[in-house]
Amino acid sequence: MERPIFQPVGTPVEQLDTPALVLDLDVMERNIHIFQGYFTDRAAKARPVVTSHLCPQIARRQLAVGGTNGGIAVTTLGEAEVFANAGFADILLANEVVTVSKIRRLCALAGQTSIGIAVDNPDNARQLSSGAVEMGVELRVLIEIEAGMGRCGISPGVKAIKLAQKVSALPGLKLEGIMGSVPGPKGDDDPSEHDAETRANLQIVLDTKESIEQSGVGVQVVSVGGTHCYAQAVQMPGVTEVRAGRYPLMDYRLKSFLPELKPAAKILASVISHPIEAMAVLDAGHKSTAPDQGRPVLEGLEGGSATRFSAEHGIVDLEGDAQKQLNAGDKAWLVPYELGASVNQYDYFRAAKNGKLEGFWPISARGRLA
Amino acid sequence: MNEHYRPTPGTLMEDLDTPCLVIDMDDLDNNMDVIADTYRDKRAKLRGHAKNHKTPAIAHRQIRRGGTIGGVCAAKVSEAEVMVHGGIQSVFITSEIVEHMKIDRLCALAGQAEILVACDQAANARDLSQVAQARGVEVGVVIELETGLRRCGVREIDQGVALAKEITSLPGLRFRGVMSHQTIPDMLDREDRAVEANRTIKGVIDLKDAIEGEGIAMDIVSTGETWSYDVAAEIPGVTEIQGGSYLMMETHYGYMTEFHYAAKILSTVISTPNPGLAIGDAGVRAVSSISGMPTVFDRPGVSVESLDSDHSVFKVESGATLKVGDQVLLIPAQQDAMVSRWDRFIGLRKGKVEVVWDIQARGCHN
Repeated sequence: MERPIFQPVGTPVEQLDTPALVLDLDVMERNIHIFQGYFTDRAAKARPVVTSHLCPQIARRQLAVGGTNGGIAVTTLGEAEVFANAGFADILLANEVVTVSKIRRLCALAGQTSIGIAVDNPDNARQLSSGAVEMGVELRVLIEIEAGMGRCGISPGVKAIKLAQKVSALPGLKLEGIMGSVPGPKGDDDPSEHDAETRANLQIVLDTKESIEQSGVGVQVVSVGGTHCYAQAVQMPGVTEVRAGRYPLMDYRLKSFLPELKPAAKILASVISHPIEAMAVLDAGHKSTAPDQGRPVLEGLEGGSATRFSAEHGIVDLEGDAQKQLNAGDKAWLVPYELGASVNQYDYFRAAKNGKLEGFWPISARGRLA
Repeated sequence: MNEHYRPTPGTLMEDLDTPCLVIDMDDLDNNMDVIADTYRDKRAKLRGHAKNHKTPAIAHRQIRRGGTIGGVCAAKVSEAEVMVHGGIQSVFITSEIVEHMKIDRLCALAGQAEILVACDQAANARDLSQVAQARGVEVGVVIELETGLRRCGVREIDQGVALAKEITSLPGLRFRGVMSHQTIPDMLDREDRAVEANRTIKGVIDLKDAIEGEGIAMDIVSTGETWSYDVAAEIPGVTEIQGGSYLMMETHYGYMTEFHYAAKILSTVISTPNPGLAIGDAGVRAVSSISGMPTVFDRPGVSVESLDSDHSVFKVESGATLKVGDQVLLIPAQQDAMVSRWDRFIGLRKGKVEVVWDIQARGCHN
């Protein structure tokens, strides 16, 4: 567990002990209003994916602003348990749960709060059904359709129709509809090509809804994800919810695709050595940044760029006037490339307003991967 | 933090909820015994790096089995605190500690146990001295020399000698010696590694000689890591080796076959959408892909094709099968990136839970 120095509220953020994951509440609030505003007067609503921040306090802010359907989505059963305990009343576990032990945990949770679950195979549907019947609960089910991710999800078409029919006939399960995840952009993707690809992938999900309904099974929910597909999804009739996680805090990966949203969570690091003119060494390495899917980006110093992360050290290359900056003890800001991975390395957001500490917000679902 | 999941000893591996971080205890003990045997008759001993396991119980286990100096290395002040609170009596912080809040914390800790710290700049030595003196404690200082990692450390022998002189003149500090780190590409042959270790470690021995030539005494020359654990101990003058990865192991050091893969991620197949493809429940957040994809343990024909945040995509060759519900063990490419994502180790012997260890210094970044 992190062992932070719990500095007093009001402490200027640049005086915080480092490395620290600092959350600018005003930027976050603005992102939430902008993004959830896209759903005002639309049939589709946002369902916040809390896996991106793992923090109940942030999820509450999201649900307090309009544009959502009042529910949240999670990726793991452990996350669902944390958010159920924190009072969330509608939780979609947008992933498959297949083992006996976990199905029991899932059904136990469904006795506490309303739980939706993704299903992509008939055997699993039968197991969930007997678990739910045994424990006297009902699970809401979304059939997961493969829509370009190459991951979980049943193939669209006959197989999906049969699975929907199967689920609708099983006791303990309530077939609500279908869900699909569509691939997000990579850094070098052409935006118009990505737009066309996203529409085609979303259409796969909508076509499946139609064919399931033609077979006589009702589909109330069509849930698609994530943040990056909202623009296409809200325009396509039939989509009822967009599962989106990255928008409140943002990250570098989606920066060019959603330029109206600003990074709200950044890592504050300190320089521990400036051994040669062209280089400074930070106290934030890969354990405190998780650059697995992309390096965090140094912010606010022209001529400085973060180029290497070993376990405990981050290396900043310096050119020109920047070589006079970043001396031992100075601070530096890093914008995460992949938000969820960085958040996963911390136990607290240092919440801040106007550059001053507001409090330590627990990342309560951190590490709940099982 | 995951307080929820703590399986009872005796639980079968197949009944564990996944993903979880497991250690095969036979393999862990093997790796500890290799260290105990290697250093038994050597002057140099291991000072195991706690950044790799972050768990006092594991540090104590290696110290008891032998081959160590009786203390550990730590990368951060907060990590050192966890080790001291966990009963370790000597901790060497192998990073430069420069901020005042951290120096205060380090000096407070020096009142509880022997604390050594790396240093590469005179201004930092003066800051350490001021606080140590004010608190009435003694901090051991070790000069870091850069020898190929292009990170912290003095660059020249003369710089190191000047810094040693400064440190010896400062109250509250005790000059203890010199350290260096280095890395090499994979080298299967022990003789090649010996040559490479001699070449890369020569710098820190030269620095030691130059400082001693000025009449300044030292008792620590700390260097080496897993790749040079055996060969560095034979270099005259070296007193401590800083290994850590050998304990849990990783494919990066797969050529060192005397060490076994002890730590793995236990995962479960959650979907088999197409023939030849299976989806597991362990992704980047569980295992890390920072140094490459993890390797599937003991399942011929199955490999990791890609990792998402919370999913692994397995390629299943014809002839191999993977069903929904099957468990798959993943060996990391780099173990400390994996360990730093978990709150506990589940120790298994012969497929049954023997012990559950909290990774108490997980998240200790500061």
